[in-house]
Amino acid sequence: MTDTKSDPGSNVDPKLLEILVCPLTKGPLRYDPAAGELISDRAGLAYPIRDGIPIMLVDEARPLDSDPITDALPPR
Amino acid sequence: MADQAQSTPPTAPEAPEARWFGFRPVDPATKASLVRDVFDSVAGNYDLMNDLMSGGIHRAWKAYLIDRIAPRPGMMLLDVAGGTGDIAFRFLERGGPTCHVHVCDINESMLRVGRDRAVDRGLLKGIDWTVGNAETLPVQSRSVDVYTIAFGLRNVSRIDAALAEAARVLKPGGRFFCLEFSRVVLPVMREIYDRYSFTVLPWLGQIIAGDRAAYQYLAESIRQFPDQDSLVRRIEAAGFGQVRYRNLTSGVAALHSAWRI
Repeated sequence: MTDTKSDPGSNVDPKLLEILVCPLTKGPLRYDPAAGELISDRAGLAYPIRDGIPIMLVDEARPLDSDPITDALPPR
Repeated sequence: MADQAQSTPPTAPEAPEARWFGFRPVDPATKASLVRDVFDSVAGNYDLMNDLMSGGIHRAWKAYLIDRIAPRPGMMLLDVAGGTGDIAFRFLERGGPTCHVHVCDINESMLRVGRDRAVDRGLLKGIDWTVGNAETLPVQSRSVDVYTIAFGLRNVSRIDAALAEAARVLKPGGRFFCLEFSRVVLPVMREIYDRYSFTVLPWLGQIIAGDRAAYQYLAESIRQFPDQDSLVRRIEAAGFGQVRYRNLTSGVAALHSAWRI
């Protein structure tokens, strides 16, 4: 039996994405499957998804403007 | 899809409970991480410890909670602080395959235990897991039918902020349930219970979970939590209607319930 460890972002339940919002702004989230992150454009934060579990804590989120190395660019 | 009305995140004035970690005064800013450390430490033994500490009675309390929820087909439950899945599994087993439960816990270690247990039980559908804070829920407004928090409210830094969030995420007509340790109503039993929780509990914690301090915190945090009637008032203040409670095992625990108006 396989688990999700190899690809942390791959297993997010679509039903879950429907109900989740940014805990800070209560605004919508954008799922970035490549980075395995849920992005709140309004808050400027990217919430990690670890092992299929979204980590919706502000103090664990990555500020979008602080780390331009990763591929979390604004939507095309 | 249009956004829901933007309520700013609750910024309640500093709550008195945030200044206490059990009986120890702490900087309010550090309480959440102190609580998180407790549950990181106990996650692996949490369910075993619950059985040992309560003599299995917590199972009856949780079964009663599920009775009161009365799961119906298609019902959406948000179980806050529900890490190891105890409430979620019972809800799904009773409510059937069209029910959905969203488990939200601030503690990743507890959630991982819960998710592993779900896999062991073959529960792969109708359940999902999110790390989140009860005071700033990552959940859409007016999106859930039932909100539960079982043995969790005691551990949040700002109880009123958590209650306000519960009201926000519930659909109008939705139900709120809080199962929590409370005040023992019989004086004789209270004395026995006090002795038990300040001697036996930390000892059990030491032997089973290798963490005496975590279980000392448990005993202390129970004493610091508002009693039955105080909690009723705070739930009412958050805007809920028909707030009621029922004592379980003479008030060792209490189930508070309310309607989102």
